[in-house]
Amino acid sequence: MPVTKIDDKIIRVDAVQKARGEAKYVCDMTLPDMQYAYMVRSTCPRGKIKAIHLPEFPEGYYFISAKDIPAKGKNELWMIMKDWRCFADEYVLYVGETIGLVVGPDRTVLKDLKAQITVDYEEQTPACSIDDGINCVGGPMFPEKNSNVMCELFCEKGRPMDEVFAEADEVFEETIETPYQEHVHLETNSAIADMEDGKFVFYASAQCPFYIRKSIAGLLDIPYDDIIVRQCTTGGAFGGKEHFPDVICGALLVAENKIHKPIKMVFDREEDTQFSVKRHPSKCIYKTAIKDGKITGVWGHIYYNCGAYLSSSYVVLQRGVFHGNGVYTFDNTYLKGEGIGTNMFPSCAFRGFGAPQTLFAIETHLDHLAHHLGVDPLAFKMQYLAKKGDETTTNGHIIEDVKLPEMLEVITRESDYWRKVKEYTPGCGKGIGIALYNHGGAFTGNGEQAIIKGHARLVRTGDKVSIQVGSTEMGQGFKTSLRKICAATLGISIDNIEYLDPDTSKVVDSGPTAASRSTMVVGRLVERAALEMKERWDEGDITTEVEYEHPDGYPWDQATFRGDAYLGYGWGVACVEVEADKLTNEIKTVGVWSSHEIGKAIDELIVHGQINGGIMQSLGYGSMEKLEVKNGRFKQKSMSDYVIPTSMDFPKQFYHIQENPYPWGPYGAKGMGELVFNGASAAYVDAVERALGTQFNSIPIPPEDIEEALKNVH
Amino acid sequence: MAEVKCFIPQTLEEALEIRKEYHSIPLAGGSDLMVAGSRGAGITPAFKGDSVVLIGNLKELKGIKENADGSVEIGACTTSAEIAASPIVHPLLKDAASRMGAIALRNSATIGGNIGNASPKGDMPQPLILLDAEVVLQSKDGERRMLVDEYIIATKKTAIHDDELITKVIIPKHDFTHIFFRKIGMRRANAISKLTLSSAAIIKDGVVVDFRASSGAAGPKVARSRKAEEMLIGKKVEELESVKESFLDAWNDVIAPHAMPEYRRNTTRRMLSYFIDALIAGHGAGRVE
Repeated sequence: MPVTKIDDKIIRVDAVQKARGEAKYVCDMTLPDMQYAYMVRSTCPRGKIKAIHLPEFPEGYYFISAKDIPAKGKNELWMIMKDWRCFADEYVLYVGETIGLVVGPDRTVLKDLKAQITVDYEEQTPACSIDDGINCVGGPMFPEKNSNVMCELFCEKGRPMDEVFAEADEVFEETIETPYQEHVHLETNSAIADMEDGKFVFYASAQCPFYIRKSIAGLLDIPYDDIIVRQCTTGGAFGGKEHFPDVICGALLVAENKIHKPIKMVFDREEDTQFSVKRHPSKCIYKTAIKDGKITGVWGHIYYNCGAYLSSSYVVLQRGVFHGNGVYTFDNTYLKGEGIGTNMFPSCAFRGFGAPQTLFAIETHLDHLAHHLGVDPLAFKMQYLAKKGDETTTNGHIIEDVKLPEMLEVITRESDYWRKVKEYTPGCGKGIGIALYNHGGAFTGNGEQAIIKGHARLVRTGDKVSIQVGSTEMGQGFKTSLRKICAATLGISIDNIEYLDPDTSKVVDSGPTAASRSTMVVGRLVERAALEMKERWDEGDITTEVEYEHPDGYPWDQATFRGDAYLGYGWGVACVEVEADKLTNEIKTVGVWSSHEIGKAIDELIVHGQINGGIMQSLGYGSMEKLEVKNGRFKQKSMSDYVIPTSMDFPKQFYHIQENPYPWGPYGAKGMGELVFNGASAAYVDAVERALGTQFNSIPIPPEDIEEALKNVH
Repeated sequence: MAEVKCFIPQTLEEALEIRKEYHSIPLAGGSDLMVAGSRGAGITPAFKGDSVVLIGNLKELKGIKENADGSVEIGACTTSAEIAASPIVHPLLKDAASRMGAIALRNSATIGGNIGNASPKGDMPQPLILLDAEVVLQSKDGERRMLVDEYIIATKKTAIHDDELITKVIIPKHDFTHIFFRKIGMRRANAISKLTLSSAAIIKDGVVVDFRASSGAAGPKVARSRKAEEMLIGKKVEELESVKESFLDAWNDVIAPHAMPEYRRNTTRRMLSYFIDALIAGHGAGRVE
């Protein structure tokens, strides 16, 4: 078999199986004596549970609730905090909160039982929006603080902002808002609980099998090792299966502990749309000081709607704040973030993890400021591009060479940006827009060392080598990338590398599959383990295992959020050209160009796929994906009213990959899975604004919202 | 345990007998009923009645043919894909059929189902109503014919009797000189309509011999107003400018959008105005893009 080289273009190792429908998902698994479970959920956004009325349950059918958690266990799921209850008890905090499970062998009987369960509530006034939360509508969620602020932080750089504002010729202030976004992973959330030799076994569609173990063990007060999580083929996740599987597996664990039979729970699409985590809505207030036509300081107040429980919100908010100045260096900045608790389904991870909201806001804000000053937005922004050695908003430094000028040259040339901006006058119906963005790779600061301590293990058996890590394939192509890194480093064929879906009892914990860290961090761990194995190849069947090592000289203080927030950023430029239909306000995208600096592409085909997909998802976010809230409920309930783009909506994309090898990544690679989401929405809105001669301060902008905005133009 | 009795007749005759005896819900492509009745994976769907009759494969209900008088007959179980591909179907109906849902849906969804479902957002009723198409309803006891516009009473409400089946749709021959069609979906493909409009005219010797329009997804049912159309019919092309605004106002009274009323009203007005302007400007015969 030929030796695999890192630059070989290869067919994804999971492509054929998935394209032919042969891959087996949780939904496809049926174990002997299979039982099924459905969630009974709160229909009240905020209130006291007065009574739960159950019909008579036939033999073999169960209603599982908080009462079934054993005395030594605690009704809590452990994510960052332990505030998320496995089952709502006494009170509910949002629509969709798990109250119980109905479990039994026949799904029709279960649905009928579920339909007969009624819950009496003493309803209270819910706080649903960020503004509701800020104003403590219905009374503060945290009476001890007299507020709804769940988490907060700030970072500052340079001189105090009141001085900067006092000296300014002008302070340009804007509020920019971004909406909920649903992940719409092709495979809905699903898991099976079972028992094997006295241990609890989970088959789950999940990103982070080790998270599940940690999160749910406390429900029964059992050691982690008494829970085995086996990840199954996962049909997309985008962050929606980072922590949310804990909510499903936790409830199943309590049921399993009582019933001791395999229990399967698969969400329908409507359940997945209405009752799962979402991207945090945001409200960003920016005040920018201008003196002599130049920006002298940026002040930002960033609010994220966290929903009823913290889940990952504090970390999402941190990332949002750290990306709050975009790719620019301003002398003076103050950025404050507040995570607002509301009576909404908890928000959680979604590709970009807090960065897309503030990047959209700062890009759009600077575009508006440029228009206000009468200069081209790109020319205006190019004056402030961050460079190596620049101080960041967290008082750390940009560690790498920033290749944005080179990337901009490629994109402005390929898109013919400078000609088009002159030719397309504002409101002429044609527009071109551009956005710059970045994404800090891996966990913030020294989190990889302080929190994760990722491990990777390689086991050789004859001429085969098995990769044993907890990282997961969820459609992003990691099985291919990681096997390729391993094979190329060992100097053998990718066909001789095995990398199975992780089983927590068999592999080491390489950390969550999140934060664009898999290639950059776990890839590097596997590269190091492979280098050691190669050196000791003559020793025969050996095992090598390595642990993450943080490079020296990059301090970070997690208590004050000061220092080098990220060791390396991915960088991006996206350019979008549109034509507006003046009859219908439909926007046709006629061109998309992007350049991404990701260190090094481990596999160009996979990277190309990620670029296309990330940009499509971002354009959907900016243009059409509307998820509205009414009385604490999501109004859109399915894929026919929550629409995501199809291949017809956006044209073939030009893409460019900028190399800039990263010293601590495998073969120089950095993270890229989230980066590609972070900017296209702002480029799209910029293009539409120029085509129509109008301004938008929120997304998405479907035709009916354009109609509204145009009222202000004429 | 909920069970659904499912009849699979081999002939139309059998299907009509089943309708008469059991009033079973007719299920052709299933693209509306299976979604509406879904109770989740692994569970029998719930229908309004306790039985369904599968008619999608009945030969008598399939196919498209041209009659001697130039009218076109489409079997009720002809799929959207077949209609979109037919050389003899009116282009306005082909437009609507070809933009319906996704490819898989167009391969199963039928014209009879699309009419029978009576959704205001249904794709085909809108051009059918403009074209004065009729449905043929058959039962053991005979046959009725009526305009699609009369058959659809309101959202999800039709004139069908519980022993009848829609067997075919008949579209009279038309010689429009100008046609206009727009579907605004939530995205470019595989989308439910946000708003649709068909309009058509016959201009002969500088006179508007015929003018019609129909608005979909703009109220509880497809909206058409012969009274408003008559404001333009018989006028000379050069007189259109003077009656255009009052026509547009009249049309605005015909539509009754519930959600996004401003967008739907303004866009309908702009589209109709655009089409009339093209007529005024002497646009050549054919489609106004």
